[in-house]
Amino acid sequence: MFSPSPEKLDRTISRRSLLINGTAGLLGVKLLADWHQPVFAAGPKAKAKQVILLTMRGAMSHIDTFDPKPGRDVQGETKAVKTKTPGVLFGDSLPKLASMFDELAVIRSLTTETGDHEQGTYLMRTAYKKINSIGHPAMGPWLQHAMGKISKDLPGNVLVGNGNEHPNAGFLESAVIPVPIGDPAKGLENIKSPGYLSDANFKRRLALANRVDADFREKFSGTEVDTYNQMYKEAVRLMGSNELTAFDISKEPEKMREQYGANRFGQGCLLARRLIQGGVRFVEVEFGPWDMHQQIFTEIPDRAGVLDRTMSALLSDLKTQGLLSTTLVVLATEFGRTPKINENAGRDHHPGVFSCVLAGAGIRGGQIYGASDEDGRSVAEDSVSIADFNTTIAKAAGLDTNKEYFAPNGRPFKIGGGGKAIEKVLA
Amino acid sequence: MCAVSQHAWFYFLGVRMQRPVLVAFSALIMFLCWGSVGYSQTKPNTQGKKSAAPAKPPPIKLPESVLKPLSEPPFKVAPVERSTRAATLEAAGKIDALLEKRWKEHGVKSQPSIREDQFLRRVYLELGGRIPNFDEASKFLTSRSKDKRTELIDSLLESPDYVSHFYNYWADVLRLCERPQNNIVLDPYLAYIKEKIAENKPYDKWVHEMLTADGKIWENPAVGFQMRDDGMPLPYIDNTVRVFLGKQIGCAQCHDHPFDSWTQRQFYELAAFTTGTRTRLNGTDPEFKKGNPVNQLIKEAREKTTDGKVSGAFQQLVRANQYAVRSNKRELKLPHDYAYSDAKPNDVVKPKVLWGAVPSSAAKADRREQFAAWVVSRDDRQFARNIANRMWKKMMGLGIVEPVDDFKPDNKPSNPELLEHLTDEVLRLNFDIRELVRIIANTQTYQKLAMIHDPSSAEPYHFAAPVLHRMTAEQLWDSLLTLVAYNPWAYQRPTAKEMAAVVNLDLSKAKLADAEKTAANFESTYFLPKYNRDLQKLCGYKGQLLVRASEIPTPVPLGHFLRQFGQSDRETIEGSRTVGTVPQILAMFNGPITHILLEPGSVIYDDVMKAGNINGVDIVYLSILSHKPSAFDRDVAVKEIKTADTMGQGFGNLIWALLNTREFIFIQ
Repeated sequence: MFSPSPEKLDRTISRRSLLINGTAGLLGVKLLADWHQPVFAAGPKAKAKQVILLTMRGAMSHIDTFDPKPGRDVQGETKAVKTKTPGVLFGDSLPKLASMFDELAVIRSLTTETGDHEQGTYLMRTAYKKINSIGHPAMGPWLQHAMGKISKDLPGNVLVGNGNEHPNAGFLESAVIPVPIGDPAKGLENIKSPGYLSDANFKRRLALANRVDADFREKFSGTEVDTYNQMYKEAVRLMGSNELTAFDISKEPEKMREQYGANRFGQGCLLARRLIQGGVRFVEVEFGPWDMHQQIFTEIPDRAGVLDRTMSALLSDLKTQGLLSTTLVVLATEFGRTPKINENAGRDHHPGVFSCVLAGAGIRGGQIYGASDEDGRSVAEDSVSIADFNTTIAKAAGLDTNKEYFAPNGRPFKIGGGGKAIEKVLA
Repeated sequence: MCAVSQHAWFYFLGVRMQRPVLVAFSALIMFLCWGSVGYSQTKPNTQGKKSAAPAKPPPIKLPESVLKPLSEPPFKVAPVERSTRAATLEAAGKIDALLEKRWKEHGVKSQPSIREDQFLRRVYLELGGRIPNFDEASKFLTSRSKDKRTELIDSLLESPDYVSHFYNYWADVLRLCERPQNNIVLDPYLAYIKEKIAENKPYDKWVHEMLTADGKIWENPAVGFQMRDDGMPLPYIDNTVRVFLGKQIGCAQCHDHPFDSWTQRQFYELAAFTTGTRTRLNGTDPEFKKGNPVNQLIKEAREKTTDGKVSGAFQQLVRANQYAVRSNKRELKLPHDYAYSDAKPNDVVKPKVLWGAVPSSAAKADRREQFAAWVVSRDDRQFARNIANRMWKKMMGLGIVEPVDDFKPDNKPSNPELLEHLTDEVLRLNFDIRELVRIIANTQTYQKLAMIHDPSSAEPYHFAAPVLHRMTAEQLWDSLLTLVAYNPWAYQRPTAKEMAAVVNLDLSKAKLADAEKTAANFESTYFLPKYNRDLQKLCGYKGQLLVRASEIPTPVPLGHFLRQFGQSDRETIEGSRTVGTVPQILAMFNGPITHILLEPGSVIYDDVMKAGNINGVDIVYLSILSHKPSAFDRDVAVKEIKTADTMGQGFGNLIWALLNTREFIFIQ
């Protein structure tokens, strides 16, 4: 397990952590049990303890990445590149991932019913269709809810990217809401009090805020207000933590930072690896835009090139550090893009068939599952729904995907949306 | 100010005079990031102690541009007609009567009315987008005028604050940002939206203008609506229907809508009205008679240099001039994989509206005009109903139909009678949306204590009161700014007229020299890297622009305070959120925005200094929470101040504590 080097320990912070433990009760937080008994399904196989989800925003073209159609008109300017396995081809912007094919399980037969980014992303993240009357939890919050936290201080869930469209905790407790990180290079911002503020005075301020706000919290208890009470508790705990260096990628050697790629996604994945090392249950990193309605063939080499470099660096780094045997890496997107190239040399939304990738713990790599037809238009074999895909992720983490969880309104929900796991890709 | 604060300062130091002055002084520094410059200028009597002070924060000054209030409003806003007040109140009464009937039918308990101070805070936030400052709060709370609530509503609705706040609303809906694509300069359109709100242009006319505008954006900024979806003619129709008619037909772009009645064919038929609209000049335009002038100019510029590189500003400027909205007669065809039996793939689609008919007045107009006339038509009530529902939600926190953009047969309004009444009102008011807001603000229902609503509850919400909700990111930003800046309008977005003078290039005759000259102008003004640097110089404070949220170039970076609190990335319609996260709390604890409040020269700092004694507690409460402290609160605060190392530190703690209450960020 990762632990910060002793010389980096800030004494002020350790003093503060003592002090803050005594303060948490003052924040008006109803203490929730931090620990949930894991609900492991029967089965002896090694499962994923942690997950990194790489979310490709804007719908990644399957034909130009993991499901090329060389020789067909629909292929356009993208070429294909060979993987280690004869007959298995990737788009030519993914040479590094192609050479790592034995780590990957590529699902080429995903299909969904919506071509709307917002709905599609929500469905991919939750396995449930977005409706107005209830919020569904995203996979990260589900996992934290079902498996608990690993590091006591660090959050159970981190999202590197834009939190606005994230389903967050849905109907689950607000303690499992992911902590959003905007800029991986800056890590968790504003984590330190200004130098002139003493610990004692910080404590005074918290106590004062608590006292003068008691009436309001009482009056409007049981809502978003409670979520904020919880967030105050989490923030104070984090400020007092000795494990904050997990958020600081400047601690990584320059060479490592370069390997991941000097861009937001690259640095975000490096941060994800540090957080996994530090004991964060689930880290999601967003990357895009993939919404290439125009000039797709000038955009693909750039976007897919970054993906290739970063994801391959992440997988080999996790492997070197011995983390890949306990960490599942998922690459997902909301839908595919049309085989037909439009008049602006782009591709439009295509929910009919598309590709996603699984690797690492709980997964049997080196295989293609399912297939699209000759032009990448529809599923040709082994159709996989979004719920099937999410159920596979949950199962790879060893969870019981048949267990029903009840939302406050009494409706039952399942982790993975009650789909059928793809047994062939599970280790 | 100097004389008063000098006195105040003595008093502060005097509290603990028995202690070594040095200790008192360093404690004061803990309270306020005290700039030595401001310090020595205004407090000569303590200057001598400065050298004895321990290490202190580096001197930071608030930018000059925010320190002095403007002598006149930053721009004109259409006045609110006071003579129609009786009619407004009567209309408000009708809404109340409708709701009361409903409550009786469903046994809903009446919710208590809000106190004056709660009303004050709510209308400032919901009509002006910010909390009232100390002076505004005191003035309202001490006024004995009988119609002071109605008068406050009217005066807010004709203030720049209202324009700024409703701009933020529309910016979220319309996905407003400066550069939706690298070479599209959208700034004039953003300024145009602000102008239309300020002049209170009737909503139907405003929308019609955007749907039919043509030309370059600095000639006719209303074209920005079409340009926002450049290159995406099908999503354009989806977005337009969603925003203005409250229906989601997007699924039907690819296949018959699974949960609604729309077919793919209907989607294409509707799209056929507008897919002929172009957003870029091309070979069919006179400007391109002698080839593509954009490529030509860039090529010539390249040839002139030794390394073949042309500046980013030059390229952006020349390419930006290629964008212009024009209609042409292109036909739309069904997709090549059209799978239904009522037509064949690649068939040409004839334009047809989703319901009703194109109004006869537009029957002979071009297709785009026909579409626009149909959208804003009074014959069908959906356009009016949609905006009625939106404004109701804006004020009450929840739509009668939710989500507001998903009207469909199996998503029924929670109170159809109310929705139809509000729709009637919109039509009666000839789409004067501000008047509708004025009416709603004057209802007794609006002036009731906020309630908690659980969207997953099976019981529909009966609107016994507005729904409790957190401030939007912009409301929070602008409220904090109210505590800081005497002038929150250090600059404003450039208008079409301002930009035209700097960026327009007539592609039909522009020579390289013209392009170079214009590009140089552009590079030194509105080219974003330079523009952003200039803004930082003008009103930057630790990297934050101290200006109203409505004027900050968007999308703001992910780590910015506004984004942390949920401002939209301006990619999705109504992408803003108010969910709590840990980084928000850290920003409130330790972020630069909180600490600005504790800088000399900030509004709240000065106000507290002016009181100079324990009365400062009232000032802090009125400034931050818009009410005086209760007896209990006052005891707590006084005790805090008396037991702190210094009074200054005590006040610093009190300010910080109030900002970190749930009461501050929620609107009750």
